[in-house]
Amino acid sequence: MLELRGLSKHFGGVKALDRLDLTIDEGEIFGLIGPNGSGKSTTINVICGVYPQTAGSVLFRGELMNGKPPHQRLRAGLARTFQNIRLFPTLTVWQNLWVAQNSPGDIARQGFLPRWFGTTRRTRQEIAELLELADLGHKSDELAANLAFGEQRRLEFARAAAARPKLLLLDEPAAGMNSQEIDDLSWRIRRVRDSGVTVLLVEHVMELVMGVTERIAVLNFGHRIAFGTPSEVQRNRAVQEAYLGTSAAEAGPADGSA
Amino acid sequence: MIDFVQNTVDGIMFGSSYALLAIGFTIIFGVMRRLNLAYGATIMLGAYAGTWLHVHYQVNALVVAMTILACTVLAGIYVERLCFRAVRRDAVLASMVSSFVIWMQLEEVAIHLLPERTYPFPSLFVAGSFELGPFLFRAEQITMLALAVVMVAALNLLLHRTRYGLALRAVCESPQAAGYMGIDTRWVMLCAFALVSLVGGVAGYAILATDEQVTPFFGLWATFKGLIAMMLGGMGSLPGAILGGLVLGVVEAHAQWYLGNEYKDLSAYVLLFAILVLRPGGLMGRRILGREELAFRRV
Repeated sequence: MLELRGLSKHFGGVKALDRLDLTIDEGEIFGLIGPNGSGKSTTINVICGVYPQTAGSVLFRGELMNGKPPHQRLRAGLARTFQNIRLFPTLTVWQNLWVAQNSPGDIARQGFLPRWFGTTRRTRQEIAELLELADLGHKSDELAANLAFGEQRRLEFARAAAARPKLLLLDEPAAGMNSQEIDDLSWRIRRVRDSGVTVLLVEHVMELVMGVTERIAVLNFGHRIAFGTPSEVQRNRAVQEAYLGTSAAEAGPADGSA
Repeated sequence: MIDFVQNTVDGIMFGSSYALLAIGFTIIFGVMRRLNLAYGATIMLGAYAGTWLHVHYQVNALVVAMTILACTVLAGIYVERLCFRAVRRDAVLASMVSSFVIWMQLEEVAIHLLPERTYPFPSLFVAGSFELGPFLFRAEQITMLALAVVMVAALNLLLHRTRYGLALRAVCESPQAAGYMGIDTRWVMLCAFALVSLVGGVAGYAILATDEQVTPFFGLWATFKGLIAMMLGGMGSLPGAILGGLVLGVVEAHAQWYLGNEYKDLSAYVLLFAILVLRPGGLMGRRILGREELAFRRV
């Protein structure tokens, strides 16, 4: 599904990513974790085309993504959410989803036709499902700017799902959430995956990562230091030292796979 | 009292074309977050192309009008390619300076096209005036107002009822998010330039048809009026641009009547200065400015 080959990104002298290799299989929920500044967000940003890689390549479904602008990557099937929410504040909830849902064909180019033209029962049905997924059915005509923080997060998630991606990149979707909200989010992530979407989850919140992912890669200083199932990663000494801190390293058993 | 009402009505009618100019500036600012200083010059060049055809080939006024609209749109696309597409998005100053350079360049082209200072402008408008009670109305000003109302209504429909309009608003809100949602932001921007050039072409035509003459200074004039009206209303706000244009027109009309012709332009600058000191965001700009700050914080 997604293959990163020797991916590097340097900012001046800082090697935010250093020859990262990573393969994500179709249909899995893949976790990418690491301490602050380990290169997680840089990875997502390079995959999405925010900035070009210094070296290496991004292959998505066998296709080379290097040098393609974000909107083309989305049309190839890569959608993302943002760590700090970036909705369209003066569009309604419904319109936010509608923009994203139409984007594989690009609404801008469908041009100067009235908005309802071509808005079939199926698109309305799909938006209704997305609203239900985000638990925002009662707010569909509300401006996005007027939503509460938690609701904005849910809309951001649904908007990314609305683009019918093949691979959904979630950039710290659980930041600032309580336990109940994290449970809801896990449910949502699984539901999206069950509808045929592969998920790459970049996250700090261990409760979510350990509960929902099937495989995890751990980054530190732009390198991959560990790789495996959640329980393997938790037992890995290098991870415990780098990420969970020394106290966790003392508490846990020593072996693990790397 | 009658004078006051008469001036106000005249001001609103002429202000409607200021509003169209301000809309052009404000839409580009909303989409690009940059000022397009060459906007007035693109309109002037379009007007010159039409006048040139008229002077050399004596084509009729309708062909002149069509030529002006077409050439303004082409000039607008030219500006987008040279000043905004070519320059990186974060190079705000570079694109502003290059739009200034293009302004000078377009002015040169116009002067070479028609080297004399002024030319009569072939108008489609019916000239004349009629009285309604104590008030006098000029037919070409009513035409101007009608054109402006039609343009604003059409723009409103476009922005709020079409797919392109939705995409344009999404790009105004957050160009990055729009890109990740699959909107081709460059295409949206190119179309926005063509669109505002069309609006500007109509405004320019209405103004020149009322003046019945065209000079190379029209570019400078249109840039001043449009910028002042936009700043009055608040950058990036469409209702603000309309309000700013009308206020500017009314203030100028009163200044001209009560203080004399030479105070007309001066009053516009005084008004702009007062607004910028008392209400720096413009009359309707507070909300927009707030979002602007947010946008910068997000980056």
